[in-house]
Amino acid sequence: MSGAPGEAGAAAHLREPWSELETGPAAAFARQRDGATFGIWIFLASEVLFFAALFLIYTAYRIANPEAFAAAGRATNIVYGTLNTAILLTSSLTMAMAAQGAEKGLFRRLTLGCLAATAALGLAFLVVKGFEYREDIEKHLVPGAHFALRQAPAQIFFGFYWLVTVVHAIHLGIGIGLVTRLLVKGWRDPDVLTENPQVEVTALYWHLVDLVWVFLYPMLYLPGRAG
Amino acid sequence: MSAPVAASPTGLADRDELDLGLPPSYLADGHGVGSWLLTTDHKRIAILYAVTITLFFFLGGAAATLVRLELFTPEADIVRADTYNKLFTLHGVVMVWFFLIPSIPNTLGNFLLPLMIGARDVAFPKLNLVSWYLNVGGGLLAVAALLAGGVDTGWTFYVPYSTVFSNGWVSLTVLGVFTTGFSSIATGVNFIATIHMLRAPGLSWFRLPLFVWAMYTTSLMFVLATPVLAVTLLLVFAERSFGLPIFDPARGGDPVLFQHLFWFYSHPAVYIMILPAMGVISELITCFARRRIFGYTFMVYALVAIAVIGFFTWGHHMFTSGMSSYAALVFSFLSFIVAVPSAIKVFNWTGTLYRGQVGFESPMLYALGFVGLFTLGGLTGLFLASIPVDVHVQDTYFVVAHFHYIMVGASVSAYFGGLHFWWPKITGRMYPETWARFAAILMFFGFNLTFFPQFIAGYLGMPRRYHVYPPEFQVWNVLSSSGAAVLAVAYLMPLGYLTWSLLFGERARNNPWDASGLEWRTSSPPPRDNFFGAPRVQGGPYSYHPEGVAPIHDQPRIPAQGSLT
Amino acid sequence: MSAGPDTPAALWRRNLPVWAALMALLALSAWAAYWPFKTLNTVTGFAIAGAKAGLVLLVFMQLRRASGLVRLAAACGLFWAAILFTLTLADVLSRLAGG
Repeated sequence: MSGAPGEAGAAAHLREPWSELETGPAAAFARQRDGATFGIWIFLASEVLFFAALFLIYTAYRIANPEAFAAAGRATNIVYGTLNTAILLTSSLTMAMAAQGAEKGLFRRLTLGCLAATAALGLAFLVVKGFEYREDIEKHLVPGAHFALRQAPAQIFFGFYWLVTVVHAIHLGIGIGLVTRLLVKGWRDPDVLTENPQVEVTALYWHLVDLVWVFLYPMLYLPGRAG
Repeated sequence: MSAPVAASPTGLADRDELDLGLPPSYLADGHGVGSWLLTTDHKRIAILYAVTITLFFFLGGAAATLVRLELFTPEADIVRADTYNKLFTLHGVVMVWFFLIPSIPNTLGNFLLPLMIGARDVAFPKLNLVSWYLNVGGGLLAVAALLAGGVDTGWTFYVPYSTVFSNGWVSLTVLGVFTTGFSSIATGVNFIATIHMLRAPGLSWFRLPLFVWAMYTTSLMFVLATPVLAVTLLLVFAERSFGLPIFDPARGGDPVLFQHLFWFYSHPAVYIMILPAMGVISELITCFARRRIFGYTFMVYALVAIAVIGFFTWGHHMFTSGMSSYAALVFSFLSFIVAVPSAIKVFNWTGTLYRGQVGFESPMLYALGFVGLFTLGGLTGLFLASIPVDVHVQDTYFVVAHFHYIMVGASVSAYFGGLHFWWPKITGRMYPETWARFAAILMFFGFNLTFFPQFIAGYLGMPRRYHVYPPEFQVWNVLSSSGAAVLAVAYLMPLGYLTWSLLFGERARNNPWDASGLEWRTSSPPPRDNFFGAPRVQGGPYSYHPEGVAPIHDQPRIPAQGSLT
Repeated sequence: MSAGPDTPAALWRRNLPVWAALMALLALSAWAAYWPFKTLNTVTGFAIAGAKAGLVLLVFMQLRRASGLVRLAAACGLFWAAILFTLTLADVLSRLAGG
């Protein structure tokens, strides 16, 4: 376990086409890891544009309808929103711990424990979100004929609310799946997570899903609280 | 031992008959359906893509044929208005997303990119296969929508028509395009990582062939534009299927916002179609003029500039859509700017030809055709970027002709040119050159006969998207439909003789065109591992005759025929 | 890379303060939303979101010690999002201003 950095990982995780590079396995593996990190970052840049387009819709409508958006923002449940933000930020902490632990390849129990905590926190987020959805439906906050608020553009706010929270929840669901996959693999084979680039890749994706929520929080829950 | 030459496409690559102890070619390395459908070899995935985009090309082409047949006379003859709308929508959706966008990047790009940079494969081979499945899955959804009854929104899915009024299978089609978008993103991520991380020793950035640069800039646009399309279509889907108020003006929405998002993707998408074509043309013109590319660094910067500035110009699609006049002025100005790097490229190709030993092999005929058609398409783009002219010709056949010159005239010519150029490398066989030259020339004439009259009809005021029209436009439409018939023949011919060559074509030498790229420094077709040994690069691309150096006349041009050595 | 901490406790010492800061920012954000200002509340809300994002990006996502290439990829995402926002809002705002 305490061999030169990269050797154990290279033996376990070096893949084509990186294995064909004209370097030693340790250097080739370092390059493979860099490639994986770079690749997921390109994908994250793509995801940034994905959510930027959604946020742009929100921004344009909020600029055009400030009063209605304030009224609609007041109608969301800030307790659920704040709780869920705290849950996701905490899950980012455990995810970062898991990734940094696996990167060193030294702390298997820490890595597994943190991965389990991350998945559990993700699930907790979804449960809270489920309660919130139930309350939203009871309060007639679904756009349509029986919508609770008077202002017509408030319906646009809630159209966005439902769409973006569902899209976010799908992203989070994918994240939970990826984390669980690592957890199962790491449970079965003690060495599989050691220096495995997949941990880093999963972690980066997880953090992005968290970051999206960090911006959704002031967009969905904070408008119109002062009034 | 001397095994008989097998008569199957994969058998032709059987190297046993040579008995040189070389590894088998990628075509012979595994047989059976599984070895293709589960392959992670970038070359085989390129073939998979080639098969699917060919099917989609002829599907979209069939729809276009019906459209042109209907327009032969001013009256409605063969289809009703509703069917006509569905036909041009099908043509647009299939051609844009299932043929043009993946055409050069996913077939030639997939095959050539690792070869050109001396890599064994792309950075993420499994992701590469996933991208093909996403593409096929999206295509199947779109075809299912077609079989179920079709869509009549046009390929742009403009709201509120698509979300509130249309009765077609909009949601299913939109889902199909959404899915295939992720195939583009996967390809983009893969190519960018490959070019950054897997270049052979000695292959610095400014030694890369321009085709690789074109793939790099295209991938940039894949990654940064496609997610916005995904969101746009998702919003259409949500508004239509779940009644969420998003763009519907009756519920306070702003349909112009949809157009902003849609064209933020769809204008760069035009550059996704043309940048790879530019890459192909740079390879072809240098090889068949036996010249180094004129102004290599400028060509690189022009590609990058087009990719970046291409993101600033989308508003010129919306001059008549109710966008503010200030924004329209800004977009008009930015659209003129993007013409500069495009013009640089045309000048530099011309400069490369100057004093070259120009040969007129079939790939070169396609390339020369490209330069002419791209210039005409690009210049008419300047008409459309200028607001007063655009207001006059908006939604007329002038626009139709303009973008077909770029997307079909230029991009498809380049695709066919590239296909002919690299065909010997991909399949190991030579095609009949005379037939190929004839098809290339026929395609050029058929194309111009089809689309040049549309410039005139459009300028005179013929609107697009109607199945009937005033009789005074008939002469232009008869010309156009006749041209379409010629064009159809020209597109079908390669299908015939290229297939023939798989079975009966002469075997290709490793470098039948005497070209300089790294992809020719391996066998035809290449082995699974691409190269025999690890390539090292010691110089820049296009080691043909440099500027100001007289051609060496005692080295005769090597004829384009193949041989076994 | 090997200069980093090499015990679980050291890892916690590095990451827990960031988490605490994130929680503090979240509390501040929720409180600031009830201030009796309008625009300022919105600006504060998004500024705090930006600060939280910065912490997650730099520490948890390790952008602080990432290669230039990775930073470039991250910057590209933001730059292109800025293009989308700027040019679209140029139209939206000038239409609103024009009535």
